Amino acid sequence: MTDLVVFLVLLTLGFVFGRLAESRHFKSIQKRERELATVLAFSERLPPPTNTPRRVALVGGNVVISVDYFKMIAAGLRSLFGGRVRSFESLVERARREALLRMKQQALELGAAMVVNVKLETASISKGSKGQIGAVEVYAYGTALIDIT
Amino acid sequence: MSNYENRPVPEGINYSQENPLKEFFLLLLAAGGALLVLLLILSLAAQKLAPLVPFSLEEKLVSRYAEQFPAPPESERAQLIENYLQQLAEQLLESQRLPEGLNLKIHYLPSKTVNAFATLGGNVYILDGLLEKMDSENALAMVVAHEIAHIINRDPIVAMGRGLTVSLALASVAGLSNSGAADWLIQQLGLATVMSFTRDQERAADAMALDMLQAHYGNVQGAGRLFAVMSEGGIAPPELLSTHPLSDKRIAAIQAYAQSHPQQGEPYPLPELIQQ
Repeated sequence: MTDLVVFLVLLTLGFVFGRLAESRHFKSIQKRERELATVLAFSERLPPPTNTPRRVALVGGNVVISVDYFKMIAAGLRSLFGGRVRSFESLVERARREALLRMKQQALELGAAMVVNVKLETASISKGSKGQIGAVEVYAYGTALIDIT
Repeated sequence: MSNYENRPVPEGINYSQENPLKEFFLLLLAAGGALLVLLLILSLAAQKLAPLVPFSLEEKLVSRYAEQFPAPPESERAQLIENYLQQLAEQLLESQRLPEGLNLKIHYLPSKTVNAFATLGGNVYILDGLLEKMDSENALAMVVAHEIAHIINRDPIVAMGRGLTVSLALASVAGLSNSGAADWLIQQLGLATVMSFTRDQERAADAMALDMLQAHYGNVQGAGRLFAVMSEGGIAPPELLSTHPLSDKRIAAIQAYAQSHPQQGEPYPLPELIQQ
């Protein structure tokens, strides 16, 4: 009985705070995406040809986002039936966009207007161990092009 | 370079904007329902098959766990009480044909808990706490007869078979899923399936016990007295009744039995040995 109460409390906490954190994070992501729209990012390996002299620099952005208790239970239930794991989809979406934003932020600070050859790496932390709350890591990196004026 | 642009990220394609609670409860309902149906089928199958286990095998099974059973009482008084209970049981059994190979053993435990129970291997335990509450031999006979009926009906092995099957099934379901959370949930469900008798088993034991009482005493006053003792003193009913609480139906069945059978004679007092 005590276990059940603890479980329900954790589930409620996970749901309320996880949901709150998620909606706030999405709002912040959308706002910063508009602010950083001046820095362009492309997966294209080579920069567009130009005659302006420029410098290059490696820029990267890294983020780790934790699963909350509710998402973990929901995904566990989903694993019984199969299908879209909706509770994790929003998590990795947040991680990808946040990592790209951090990369762009670094590029902006270096005075770059464009990042090419952008790649995403992802890893899950505490992968596979039972009873562990997992977290997802996304690392975005690319080559920033800084015009020399 | 003017033809290079980053369009804003479209929302709601890579992730769902639907409230996650909706999906959660739908899945919970589906998983719970499926598990419930599975457990129901398995426990029904176990219930049908368990009585086919020969009694000799049940005794062999029990002898392996002999040290887990309560130790026999040592004092002289306890031995005398045990003999008395065994005699009472034999008198009650005169009207019943004990299935072949079934050995009935009545034990007395000097514990203050108000309880009596029937368990594997034809063992019946009557606790001192319950004896103290009894005001006549007839009331005690109702308890003993009820437990004997459980043994005759093979209820302990049925309950064990059911409990074992359910916990095995739960364990294998837990093994299939690969998340710690699902494991945990299933463990919680398993706790709910303790070894206990069903309502039907209790009702059948009641009916058989009434038959035994009627045959031996010519009345079923014991049953009435038992329930009277429990309700008037405001004492908690013994656990043999509290697992499946004293329902109105059960009392009604006893009253109907008393009305349809001639009631003669007075209740017998308990021997002095117990009254002390």
